[in-house]
Amino acid sequence: MDGEALTSLITRIDFALISSLHILFPPLTIGLAALLLVSEALWLKTGKESWYRLCRFFEKLFIVNFGAGVATGVTMEMAFGILYGRFSQAAGPFFGQVLGYETITAFMYEAGFIGLMIFGWGKISRGMHLFATFNVAVSSTLSAMWILVANSWMQTPTGVEYRNGIFYVTDWLAALFNPNAIAAFPHMMLASFELSLCFVIAVCAWFVLRRRHVALFLTPLKYALAVLVVVAAAQIWLGDVLGEQTLESKPAALAAMEGHYNTNHPDGSVDTDWQIIGWPNAKGDGLAWSISVPHLLSVIETKTWNGPVTGLNSFPADQQPPVVLPFYSFRVMAAAGGAILLLALWGVWLRMRGKFTVDLAPTHKIFLAACVGVVALPYLAVVAGWWTREIGRQPWIVYGLMRTEDGMSAMSLGLAIFWLVGFAFFEICVIAGTFWFLLKVVRLGPDLETPIAGEGHEHLGELHVPASGHAEQPEYLRPV
Amino acid sequence: MDVLTHTQQFLAIAWWLALGVSVLLYIALDGADLGAGIFSLFVKDHDEKGAIMGAMAGTWDANETWLIVAGGILFGTFPFVYGSAFSYLMIPLALVLWGIMSRAVALEFHHLASPKWQRFSEWVFGLASLAVTFFGGMSVGAALQGFELDKPAVGVPHYVGGAFNFMSAFSVWTGIAACIAMTLSGVLFVRARFEKAEPIRQDAARWTAAIFWLAIASVLVTVVWSAAIFDWARAKWFGSHFWIWGLFGIVALICIDQVRRDTLKDKDLAAILWFNAAALILGVGMLFTMFPWLVPNTWTIWAGASPQVSMITFTMTMGGFLPVMIMYNWYQIWVFRGRVSKLVAYAGH
Ligand code: HDD
Ligand code: HEM
Ligand code: HEM
Repeated sequence: MDGEALTSLITRIDFALISSLHILFPPLTIGLAALLLVSEALWLKTGKESWYRLCRFFEKLFIVNFGAGVATGVTMEMAFGILYGRFSQAAGPFFGQVLGYETITAFMYEAGFIGLMIFGWGKISRGMHLFATFNVAVSSTLSAMWILVANSWMQTPTGVEYRNGIFYVTDWLAALFNPNAIAAFPHMMLASFELSLCFVIAVCAWFVLRRRHVALFLTPLKYALAVLVVVAAAQIWLGDVLGEQTLESKPAALAAMEGHYNTNHPDGSVDTDWQIIGWPNAKGDGLAWSISVPHLLSVIETKTWNGPVTGLNSFPADQQPPVVLPFYSFRVMAAAGGAILLLALWGVWLRMRGKFTVDLAPTHKIFLAACVGVVALPYLAVVAGWWTREIGRQPWIVYGLMRTEDGMSAMSLGLAIFWLVGFAFFEICVIAGTFWFLLKVVRLGPDLETPIAGEGHEHLGELHVPASGHAEQPEYLRPV
Repeated sequence: MDVLTHTQQFLAIAWWLALGVSVLLYIALDGADLGAGIFSLFVKDHDEKGAIMGAMAGTWDANETWLIVAGGILFGTFPFVYGSAFSYLMIPLALVLWGIMSRAVALEFHHLASPKWQRFSEWVFGLASLAVTFFGGMSVGAALQGFELDKPAVGVPHYVGGAFNFMSAFSVWTGIAACIAMTLSGVLFVRARFEKAEPIRQDAARWTAAIFWLAIASVLVTVVWSAAIFDWARAKWFGSHFWIWGLFGIVALICIDQVRRDTLKDKDLAAILWFNAAALILGVGMLFTMFPWLVPNTWTIWAGASPQVSMITFTMTMGGFLPVMIMYNWYQIWVFRGRVSKLVAYAGH
């Protein structure tokens, strides 16, 4: 491999790493903000203290995750300019405009309220606080919308004309509402809710399993499982819709995702096999071995028994994406989606049999352990889904118009390594720290003692030195 | 590349001003947080260090967002500049970025950490603040020097120089000057945010008295140095309108002097506002000195602008979102205006 190819490979790994590490955090921000809003609203409506305690407890987890989202997100914004300078210049008129719009309508908007939501307890009125939480939920959704519009446009670049190295927008509406965005944004939103529900379920189940605050955590566990049934089912359906969209707009990506090399068998009949697993042969023009189900591919993609699906070999070699990664990451995502649905159904079935009482629930140890474990699945699915999408788009950075290698900045090998090592180090520290503190907050458990935050005026509390023991550690109360 | 229509030229200028406003707001708001971070490196008391972090807990994220907004405007409206300048400034920006990341994490995790790690996160916070300020200042200095572009027959010019071209005596100096200016802003912030009886306020006052002179000196050095090496600066400052620029300078000096007077009189908020006025005047002065260059001798405002700037998006942003956001930001700062004691380090701030 010559120096340039190696540099380009490192740059790509670097970008893939930066974006994969960022996408771990936003989904929880988006989904949990909405769940916090629900519990805060329930508290105000019913006056039940338990909703307040839950809200404050999950909010602590929210903050830890949010900090990591910001740290890795700022990296994303700079990474485009630094690693993909040429792409940024060419696509700037559309892509940059959309991201710029995001910073103003989503990040600015979010930043105006997040401080109030987290630190405003006891300083602003309850109504105002609810309003702040509401705005955090809305603004993080807006953020996801803009990002998905921008990224989907890279998959289906409608409404533009590529001339003299610049993408000119000829039709703003067509570019904004590009065909891929219409399915991908809802799929991402549902992924965020699914992930956050699984997160809440795992935390609640852990407490129930440990018999700590069982009464407090059983209610959200029950509700979250019920909602998850609907969300998980809808997600599988939307994933299927997105797959059909991919077939239509990026047929090569779909073929790679399915490991589908030939439209027809050598004898001329349509190849309708859906591969469960397989591995490409050394030449890269077919599968060396596979386990497959006949007709399933046609049924999934064309909704007919024998409908033809374009195979990878119909595309010139220099326009074919890699196969192994999209193929397996797609299967990981779909399997995760199925497993989550099964767990949710299990929970609802237990509930219908009346097992969700304070006495009975903690005895269902296997179910609860499964609930704790399930939190890994949506994270896997989110990362795998993005890999399917981004690697399936290769070798294009803007599908069909601009190739990835034409979008890179001119970089020396040394610099590329500097970036990769530097970021890997920093981001892994961020992730390790986040994970550690999430666990720590959960271990400490909810705070059930501090008086409920009052309204409107700052109360700095009193300083009283405990009579005995650690006098050098004054206790200082301040509604936080 | 294409020529912009008249309306688009006008819009490009308006966006350029918006970019300047975001950067200046960032310097005014987050500058104080960064400076307080640098100051915290010299604070011995563990509780006081923690309290400095606690004092900005509710607002630092919003303050930092102005930098992201500036980045967003640059990418959205001046994509050609964004794509090439970031290649030129790759190394200092990477260092700024690592600083920002470490700082965000140190701030968010501080109150959850065990005492040993709290100390660690205090150091990370202080050093990261220093790194962001120094390398940020260095990037500005390097941008003032301009950079080389290739000249393709069709398409957009790209950066072609090496990765270390940003290094120069001048850019190192602007890094140092930024640290001095931000530390001044930081100690003013500490004075305004701590309860009057706290000893840290007295320390901060001593610092103000000393850094104040350093700040004046560094403004003068920067101006003289710029005049010496930049023909575009010389042409304006010593041209026929020299008195306008002189006036800018004198007003800025008066503002800086007011900072000291108000600090001595315990008028903390007034001192901050005077500081920001000085920064605003100097910043606007520099922007207009550069005009019509966005990056001197490299990109003019019009050449760097997207051929797609449109009236609709501009009006929506400027007429709708930005004013509302500034209003909420202001409300947020107002909610968190109360003074704190060093004991906030004990509360989960
Ligand atoms: C909780 C997360 C989650 C789950 C359970 C699923 N997905 Fe997904 N999927 C995502 C999270 C996700 C994602 C990370 O959000 C992606 C990446 C980009 C996007 O828009 O959504 C995605 C992308 C994505 C794509 C790529 C589209 C493209 O290349 O443009 C397809 C075809 C599917 N999904 C299909 C499915 C199917 C058939 C699923 C279930 C059986 C499924 N997804 C479950
Ligand atoms: C957040 C989740 C995301 C993940 C996990 C992800 C993952 C990846 C991966 C793995 C690659 C490398 C593909 C290859 O080189 O073969 C890639 C490339 C790329 N992605 Fe993403 N991506 C994500 C989001 C985005 C978003 C939201 C955008 C744009 C808005 C984006 C833009 C790009 C670009 C410009 C490339 C360069 C092409 C390349 O290196 O091959 N990505 N991404
Ligand atoms: C599917 C992909 C993405 C989604 C859904 C998403 C969503 C979000 C959300 C909701 C936040 C708020 C903070 C948090 O998450 O904890 C965030 C942070 C951030 N993201 Fe992403 N993002 C994605 C990809 C990107 C890309 C491609 C960029 C680069 C342009 C980016 C830049 C940022 C920045 C700069 C922040 C920090 C903003 C702040 O200070 O609040 N994100 N992202």
